[in-house]
Amino acid sequence: MLRFFAYRLALIPLVAFGVITILFVIFKSVPGDEAAIVAGSAATQAEIEHIRVQLGLDKPLIEQYGRHLVGLLQGDFGYSPTFRGNPLPRILERVPATLLLMLSSILVTIIIGIPAGVTAAAYQNRWPDIAISSAVVALLAIPNFWLGMILIAVLSVQMGLLPSFGLAGPLSLVMPTIALSARLIALVARMTRGVVIEEMRKDYVRTARAKGLSRRVSLTRHVLRNAMIPTVTVIGLQAGYLLGGSVVVERLFAWPGIGDLLLAGINVRDYTLVQGITLLFVTGFLLINLAVEVLYVQINPRLRHG
Amino acid sequence: MNRREVLTLLGGGAAATAIMRPDIRALAQSGAAGSTLTYGQSTAILTLDPAHGAFTTYPGGYEAALCLYDRILDFDADMQIKPELAESFAMADDLMSATIKLRSGLKFHDGTPVDAAAIKANIERMIDKERNPTNRPLWDPIESAEATDDLTVVLKLKQPFSQLPNSLAHGSGAIVSPAAMEKFGDDKIATNPVGAGPYRLASFSPGQELVLEAFEDYWGEKPKAGKIVFKAITEAATRISALKTGAVNVIDQVPPALVSQLKGDANIEVISKPGLRPIGCIINMSREPLKDPKVRKALNLAIPVKTIAEKVFFGYAQAPDSPLAFNTVGYSSVSPLVYDVEQAKSLLAEAGYVAVSEIVANALGQAGVKVEITKIEGGSYWDTLRQAPADLKWDIAMFGFNPSNASGLYHLSSLFKSNPDEASKPAVWNAGRYKNDEVDALLQEADSTADAAKQMEALAKVQEIVWNDNPYIWLQINENIAATNGAKGVEVWPIVFTVVRRASV
Repeated sequence: MLRFFAYRLALIPLVAFGVITILFVIFKSVPGDEAAIVAGSAATQAEIEHIRVQLGLDKPLIEQYGRHLVGLLQGDFGYSPTFRGNPLPRILERVPATLLLMLSSILVTIIIGIPAGVTAAAYQNRWPDIAISSAVVALLAIPNFWLGMILIAVLSVQMGLLPSFGLAGPLSLVMPTIALSARLIALVARMTRGVVIEEMRKDYVRTARAKGLSRRVSLTRHVLRNAMIPTVTVIGLQAGYLLGGSVVVERLFAWPGIGDLLLAGINVRDYTLVQGITLLFVTGFLLINLAVEVLYVQINPRLRHG
Repeated sequence: MNRREVLTLLGGGAAATAIMRPDIRALAQSGAAGSTLTYGQSTAILTLDPAHGAFTTYPGGYEAALCLYDRILDFDADMQIKPELAESFAMADDLMSATIKLRSGLKFHDGTPVDAAAIKANIERMIDKERNPTNRPLWDPIESAEATDDLTVVLKLKQPFSQLPNSLAHGSGAIVSPAAMEKFGDDKIATNPVGAGPYRLASFSPGQELVLEAFEDYWGEKPKAGKIVFKAITEAATRISALKTGAVNVIDQVPPALVSQLKGDANIEVISKPGLRPIGCIINMSREPLKDPKVRKALNLAIPVKTIAEKVFFGYAQAPDSPLAFNTVGYSSVSPLVYDVEQAKSLLAEAGYVAVSEIVANALGQAGVKVEITKIEGGSYWDTLRQAPADLKWDIAMFGFNPSNASGLYHLSSLFKSNPDEASKPAVWNAGRYKNDEVDALLQEADSTADAAKQMEALAKVQEIVWNDNPYIWLQINENIAATNGAKGVEVWPIVFTVVRRASV
């Protein structure tokens, strides 16, 4: 177990290196002249050239790449014209808000999605199943920004129950969490329903029922544990989606997270800032995947020998 | 107390209450200091330094700077220039120097006196290309600043520059405390701004929230709000919701399509003002058939400008009748745009482009020539526009110039002064390669005359010539739309600013 974990952990820097390189290439080949952007719209050509030298953008690409790598090792993301220096502290101060939103979304997903799926499976083809399955289809079809706008219009503007934007107190977490987790809840509920129905047909369940266990006990004790494996996979894989979705939801709710900062960076064409946040997103995705793999093994001991 | 307040008090704790009812929070915190005005801004404030990128975001950073900093000269809401830190301001007759006399006894927020030495330090910083790479056309003409006594500064110019007052009144003319500049350095002053304006910094989280508090020792009209909170709410629908719920008192950039939503609400007031930025398509005059004035005239005749203003912008836009917007200093009406497809057809036929004219007739019965639209990512748009004639990859390109110093001379020079080198990239914004010797001479004359009437006359002539040369397909001038729910004294400036400096709740 420990070896497996260490192996996976050791892979991360390798993957990160690849990611850094790819991002560097992408950001260098993006159309647009960084120096011209820093100089602003009224700048003359001479001023643009001057800034190019100042930022080291006149150097050969390989030298810029080398500097970029050395900088990253020292925690220096490069020169952000917006923050006049290394943007890392400004990015990091935004991380807690995004993490909070993601964690609350995952938590809500687990609390609502899994029981909903199990209930639908237990009442297969009867009215609770039909109700839940219809809700699942609806939630999958609704885009998060639209759901968010409807929530704001109803809960904030009409009823005045919740603050419509920003992060201030637990109430402000409600609508962004619903908007971000809606699709994931639906996915998890559908997945859980399918897996539970499948598992309940298996021999071990029949054996359990035969030795006198009630349907309820066999479901909660035996079926659920096995059904959790694909469910955790879905949640893990979709956590990456949460990162992406958080950009849209954060903008809609003026949420002070990294997604919001990413859009601000794009608006002012701050390449360094955007590149840094993208790198952070990718690293976050890698760490989430690692966490998912560790969880697998916890849930299913059979994988420990793998 | 209505239901909303009860519920938030019960369930949300102090923080949630504070965000929903800024007035309650202000009363609780500052008692006599008065009210809090919260402004939901479309652009996030990232930096607050007039140099080094000039507040980074337009208009967001500038709007906050107008509250934090005083300038030597100021604009009023109609872009008329008036003294601010200066008691008097006079240009020499030859336009080669200017004398600034400061009001006495003024102080920055940190107690440093606003004296001639402070002005000198600021001007020197603004004319230094290293420290202030942006807004160069505004600051390049200044040669030096000398303090002749405690309260007198003389600015020497490199060439006659009649727009100097506009530069000093421009947002980037914000005067920073020299002591603070010393203390924080060029890197940290952007997040620790110290000015001499009616509000001082209370707290700043770049990109999220800026809180200013009233500066009690302000020399002029006392600040009317105890606090001003700038909150970044980039999504228009979210801004409108925030205004409706009362979480903010003022919002900017209301999309014309959403104004009707607000008009129905009795508590909300919509404020709009025509902008200074005429939107149009630059015509690439280095190419056939666009070199032909008849073709360019025909293109302008083929655009249903009225329909665009009325249907696309719901009446919150107007078709221009001169290269300058209606409220720009120096504007002079030339002639209204006419939509006449038949005349466009016959002009194109005269010019020998029958094929094109048929397309004009066909295309939707309205707009135009066969146009292939290429969308270009914002980051590279300016770059694509500003190329040497040989590298230009477009025939027409959408563009709108916003004269942020309100000067029509600045506007016309930036767009229509011929480029010094016709084979390389444009010097400023004459990307379509317009060249008319008469226009060049008139602009030169306007810039070097101290006689305002003469200057206006020259500018009027330029507008007439340019208008008839059709270097653009002119489209519309948009209005800037803000909205408030009871805040008083909010100003919308034609240069896209929503100014809360003199506002109260």
